[in-house]
Amino acid sequence: MKTLIKSTGFALAAAAALGLSGTAGASEAIKIGVTQPLTGPVAASGNYVVQGAKIAESFLNESGGILGHKVELIVEDNKSNPKEAVATAEKLIVRDKVPVLMGAWSSTYTLAVMPKLIEYGVPMVVETSSSGKITTSGNPWIFRISPTSAMEAKSFGTKVDQFGIKKADFLVVNNDWGRGAASAFSAMLKSKGISVGVVETMDAKAQDLSAQLAKIKASGGDTLFVTTGVEQITLVLKQAKEQRVTHRVITTGGSSSPDQLIAQAGAAAEGSYHLLFFAPWFPEAAPNPDVAKKFVDEWNKRGHNFAGLTEGFRGHDGIMTIAAGIEAAGKAEPDAIRQALWGVKVDGVNGDISFIKQGPAGKESGQNVPNVYIVTIKDGKVALP
Amino acid sequence: MDRFLQHLLNALMLGGTYALLGIGLTMIFGIMRVVNFTHGELYTFGAYMVFFFAMTLSTNFFLALVFAMVLGVALGAAIEFVLLRPLRGASIDTTMLIMIGAWIALQNSEQLVWTGVAKSVIHPFPAEPVVLGPLSVSWIRIFVFCVAILLIVGAHLLIHRTRLGKAMRSTFQDRETAALMGVNINAIQTATFALGSGLAAAAGALLGPVFVLVPSMGDMAALKSFAIVILGGLGSFKGATLGGFMLALVEEMGAGYISSGYRDAMGFLIIIVVLIFRPTGLFARAERIG
Amino acid sequence: MNRWATWLWLAFLFSIPVWMTNQYYLYILINAGIFIIAAMSLNLLLGYTGQLSLGHVAFFGIGAYASALVSLGFDLEITDSYTFVFAPRPVWVGLLAGILVAGFFGWLVGRISFKIRGAYFVIVTISFAEVVRLVALNWIDLTEGPMALNNIPPLTLGIPGLWELTFWRKVPNYYLVLVTCILSYVVIARLVRSRLGRAMIALRENEPLAASVGIDVTRSLVLAAVVSAAMAGAAGGLYTHTIRIIDPDVFLFIYTVTMVIMVITGGKGTLAGPIVGGLIFGILPEVLREVASPEVQWVMYGLIMIAIVFFLPDGIVPALASWWRDRFGAGGGGAESQSEPGPGPEASGTVTDTMGERA
Repeated sequence: MKTLIKSTGFALAAAAALGLSGTAGASEAIKIGVTQPLTGPVAASGNYVVQGAKIAESFLNESGGILGHKVELIVEDNKSNPKEAVATAEKLIVRDKVPVLMGAWSSTYTLAVMPKLIEYGVPMVVETSSSGKITTSGNPWIFRISPTSAMEAKSFGTKVDQFGIKKADFLVVNNDWGRGAASAFSAMLKSKGISVGVVETMDAKAQDLSAQLAKIKASGGDTLFVTTGVEQITLVLKQAKEQRVTHRVITTGGSSSPDQLIAQAGAAAEGSYHLLFFAPWFPEAAPNPDVAKKFVDEWNKRGHNFAGLTEGFRGHDGIMTIAAGIEAAGKAEPDAIRQALWGVKVDGVNGDISFIKQGPAGKESGQNVPNVYIVTIKDGKVALP
Repeated sequence: MDRFLQHLLNALMLGGTYALLGIGLTMIFGIMRVVNFTHGELYTFGAYMVFFFAMTLSTNFFLALVFAMVLGVALGAAIEFVLLRPLRGASIDTTMLIMIGAWIALQNSEQLVWTGVAKSVIHPFPAEPVVLGPLSVSWIRIFVFCVAILLIVGAHLLIHRTRLGKAMRSTFQDRETAALMGVNINAIQTATFALGSGLAAAAGALLGPVFVLVPSMGDMAALKSFAIVILGGLGSFKGATLGGFMLALVEEMGAGYISSGYRDAMGFLIIIVVLIFRPTGLFARAERIG
Repeated sequence: MNRWATWLWLAFLFSIPVWMTNQYYLYILINAGIFIIAAMSLNLLLGYTGQLSLGHVAFFGIGAYASALVSLGFDLEITDSYTFVFAPRPVWVGLLAGILVAGFFGWLVGRISFKIRGAYFVIVTISFAEVVRLVALNWIDLTEGPMALNNIPPLTLGIPGLWELTFWRKVPNYYLVLVTCILSYVVIARLVRSRLGRAMIALRENEPLAASVGIDVTRSLVLAAVVSAAMAGAAGGLYTHTIRIIDPDVFLFIYTVTMVIMVITGGKGTLAGPIVGGLIFGILPEVLREVASPEVQWVMYGLIMIAIVFFLPDGIVPALASWWRDRFGAGGGGAESQSEPGPGPEASGTVTDTMGERA
């Protein structure tokens, strides 16, 4: 009883205090809302994105902010859950009155937020999500800098000949991302005359993948495409070795974090290939080497996990894109930013960012065409193939 | 055919740890009438303790396993002492709610301490698998299987050949009479919960190095333990052992030959079917705890 | 006096959107309201029949999916040559369908699982919810699986050509949820005072005795399960049309746990309990969002849950009611209706008394 009264009293007091602080000092800084999964199953990635976004915030403020105002990120945790993603959007737009958002990592969370963007008329830069639906469903407030699975597959398609694949199998996480990648890549491979064997799925939390791997081994392909988070890729590599699955492993989706694989899967990671959207080992090979180098240096200076760079750069590029949009709009107002984003050209860590139109005419969404890199693990080190 | 045998071998290897999980849970239910929702968290705890000793403190891997199991027993005893002892005699629903609360608090504490980034334990076994004709299995899995079997046999002997085990069995059969005969019910219950928790922690400690460690890893383990225990009949030692191997087999074959998406559904589907036709589980009856 | 208090509360609740200009708070109330309906439906099983169903989220999710699918329409390939095409229907048809489908599953689960009791029942209900989740995840032709059903239309009401209202914004949605809440409350209040309600409570108190005086145990329980599931389905339908996306995560065990915490904290087996618990746990996460990281929040929920079971085993509402009685003499009913928003003071009074006897 006592505890309860105490905690409700505490909650009310906290609410009152926050209500006051929320209104004060709002006129000065330009606020940018960020919704990312900071807890829950995909928390690691969301935290990396936020670390990258914070670096962009410091860069912007060091060089005088935007339009003479300081930039302030308001970061909310969507708890790896679509319902919470909506809650964060409501909170950021309605309560904090941010003119623009960045988010929401997974396609499911982004899709959940999208009706809110139309309802309140606020643009959002999407930094990670890969589902095609996001830019084709007719939401004019969406600007995506990350590639769709189809774009990633197409980009890989230009290099597929050097791998000499005869028959490919798939092992993907059972969500929009994994399934989307499997269908995009198998369509691309089939168009090149490469046959596709089995497509196996795994629950995002599954740890024992031996059944799937036994099936893949029996399928007799030469290459295994894997799309999932780095934890599960570690498991796939280790267990594939145990079961003597001889496929060449290629991971897609850009979340594979090869350093973590080397550390955790050891010898089992040897010889695997990884599609990435940033290769922090070789910033000089990026299209904008200065930007990439500056970002990597700052990341290391702050003592962030090096393995997180392949995710963290998304946060940096997203915030920089938004900043360019506000700068071009000349004011921090949602509709002005939306219109201005169509014209931005940003030197991002991934490459040059600009938007092409996608989706039904009249309500197109913006889509960037990002760069895709392939790296391999050789002698316990990351190398270019 | 080769593939079938490989599936069979995989199921056997996994079944050992499943059985371990199931036995821990079924003992606690049988003797204490408590549905232990913290079981999965003890599993997680065991895994993270191995990580802590073997990786953070660089203790010897095998020593780290022993420490993890001992600490699992200690944590189990602590939970019993703090949360369950004051509620002796409360209804099964009340204790269940307490255990759900403890489960939520424990899991999120683990997340606070270890963060969401997956951890991996490096083990001293060779990465190259053992190859038996068309089949292959890794050394670490063989090791895990052997230790699991040893622990199962150990728990069996403890229950059947020791004074403590005798007291446990009599408490299970008739608590009041056992108390009248001078059995210290409180001590027995703490011992039971500690032992059951220790087995869960052992399963986590053994499987941690095989897999990767994430704070939510216990949820799956808990759900599977429930499935195993229901399959075998609540409170049945033999049932839980067989249930563990059966669940592993059904999952492996289901994923291999039906659909990998429904792998985790297999256990629950069996539960529902079993309970429709045999509401007390497959192996329940006189065999419970013993 | 009691009637007065009830009408006052209702007037207060209906006036909120008029003076509450911050839409964010309305959003929180809408969400809390949806979960209050779900918690009330769970209370019917958990509180009145004494059956701890830990798969309740299954009905919530089934209602949500059914309503979304009916309003979006779907194609199902039955054989290669025949595809079943279901054209989109208006949202209110979807909501009704959600209620019916959830109710049907309530009947089915009730038929199967009320043969068993205690721990077996609990685990069967958990298993059922897990199976439903995995079906939603893997039956991609119907549910889009993990890709989620999105662009679910909001509710539209009106007379064709003359007048139309789309529930886009907060205010109409608030009233929609409020009215559904009140309807659910009235249904439950009437139900527990009916013959069936008395049978349910008798079952909870002493099943063999109830059976011996001629109460059809299974039939009563199954009926309670149907009503409870249908109501949870209604909550799911409201959820899906306000949040406008649904994915298999809606079936996660944690939502059942949230509902259970709401019921237990407020007071199981009381009419007002789920409302009080629902308000606390609907609003608390939004308040804590600022001061504590989500892990800390969840640790706190876990500890609060333990503390409630230890120190207030009957929940807040019965504790307040008995405190009120001790202090101001008889009239526990009055205490109830003032301690929480909700109509039906007489009902609350009787039920609180039953709770008292129980303890």
